[in-house]
Amino acid sequence: MKVRLPLFIVLITGILGAIPFLIPHNIVQNIDNEFRNSVLRIIVSFSLVLGVGSIIRHHVDKVTRKREHWEYSWILLITLLVTSIIGLFGGIEGNGRLPTHIGNFHFDIQTIYMYMAVPLMATMFSMLAFFMASAAYRAFRARNLEATLLLVSAFILMLGSVPLSNYILPKLPGFAEWILMVPNTAAKRGMGFGIALGTLATSLKIILGIERGWLGGTK
Amino acid sequence: MSFWEKLSKIDRRFIYFTLFLAVTIPLIFPFNLRPKPMPPVQKLYNYIDTISQDKTLVVSVDYTPDTEPELHPMSIALLRHAFARHIKVGVLTLQLLGLGLAQDALATVTHEFNSRAQTNSDSIIYGRDYVFWGWQTPVLVPILGMGENIVGVFPVDYYGNRTDTLPIMKHLKNYNDVAILVSISGSAIPFYYITYAQTSFGLKIGAGSTAVQAADFYPYLNSGQVTGMMSGMKGGAEYEEMVASKLGVPGRRKATEAMSSQTVSHIWIMILIIFGNIGYFALRRRKK
Repeated sequence: MKVRLPLFIVLITGILGAIPFLIPHNIVQNIDNEFRNSVLRIIVSFSLVLGVGSIIRHHVDKVTRKREHWEYSWILLITLLVTSIIGLFGGIEGNGRLPTHIGNFHFDIQTIYMYMAVPLMATMFSMLAFFMASAAYRAFRARNLEATLLLVSAFILMLGSVPLSNYILPKLPGFAEWILMVPNTAAKRGMGFGIALGTLATSLKIILGIERGWLGGTK
Repeated sequence: MSFWEKLSKIDRRFIYFTLFLAVTIPLIFPFNLRPKPMPPVQKLYNYIDTISQDKTLVVSVDYTPDTEPELHPMSIALLRHAFARHIKVGVLTLQLLGLGLAQDALATVTHEFNSRAQTNSDSIIYGRDYVFWGWQTPVLVPILGMGENIVGVFPVDYYGNRTDTLPIMKHLKNYNDVAILVSISGSAIPFYYITYAQTSFGLKIGAGSTAVQAADFYPYLNSGQVTGMMSGMKGGAEYEEMVASKLGVPGRRKATEAMSSQTVSHIWIMILIIFGNIGYFALRRRKK
């Protein structure tokens, strides 16, 4: 039963997910609407509870057992609690029931988001530029024909993606565009067909219960 | 260690520091670089420019703060274009963290227009000229649902108003009333719009993507499934420039300002790669 029930649910929902694209009849479309607009949303809202629950449990456990870097877990838990309260009761721009400013000092959810979350996340992402520069310097060596082609293409695209190329080599941005539009598209289409066929085959195997890895366990 | 060895093994801290200078100095002392619009950006601009008064432009702010510097100028440029041409706008996001960015883009552009407005008709008014539907998940629900009934997918907007009471929604029922939907994202969300909204409902799709991801969109651009696109910060700068030069819309152009920094950092990375290769070939010749 522990195996058959999930397999049966996957079979039914898999078929129900696919047939509305093939059968435009009202009954099929109405069932699809109901599944999409009600059932799917309910399932997703459960995932929110699961996500918040598991992050709290993980970090409370870390703090209580004093695991490595447990101090940072306090920051996460306090931040989660404070922003949740401000977000739930403070309104979007400080227009809720909870007061979200002291004089000119504002701490509504939009202000916290724009002046804390945005710079922090953008900073983390911008670190990539430094790692990529270092990796490009070490990896881009014209060792053979393929590597040389890659290197030349990279140079053309890098120069083509800055406005300076319009002044020094006016035809270069057009050539960079051609690389993206023709050789890149040809390769991407080939890969796309392969991926689509692979996805289709794997999906069918899962729906029909041939592929059971997602059930977990070894039996 | 010989000179050639040093050239092929530059310390990573030196690379980080010089790149930091290459990024920051041109930001502080920028030089004038006007980007020339490339065909995908030009196509998107031209299509939006010809939207009739009875149709709506939908902007899907599907990016998160990590890609904000690259993608946020695109949203602002699109909104400036639409409001300058009196095109009605619907805004949504399929990324939870995109809510604040969408709100910021709308607040920035509406403030710009309203501070210059002389009359009520010049002003950009919420509910009449634009609507912010907010966030909805999972992605398939709003993408397919909006093709049938937008109010059904978003019964209340981001601010808690009932969407069916907003004047703009009287003529905005589903994708039939949408001229084009532009999804700006650093993730795979625009592909969902292409797969479901474009294929099932024939909706015109525009895209705004990070430079890294832009190559993935070219097959769809080539097939006509994507009407036009802005790729990376340069794409945003090109759109900003067109809005400013053709429509005379003032306002800060952050992507254009960043072009100096992007140019210097790209050239510096290319110089580093050339150094690395010179060192590599010199050492290889010596070994032989």
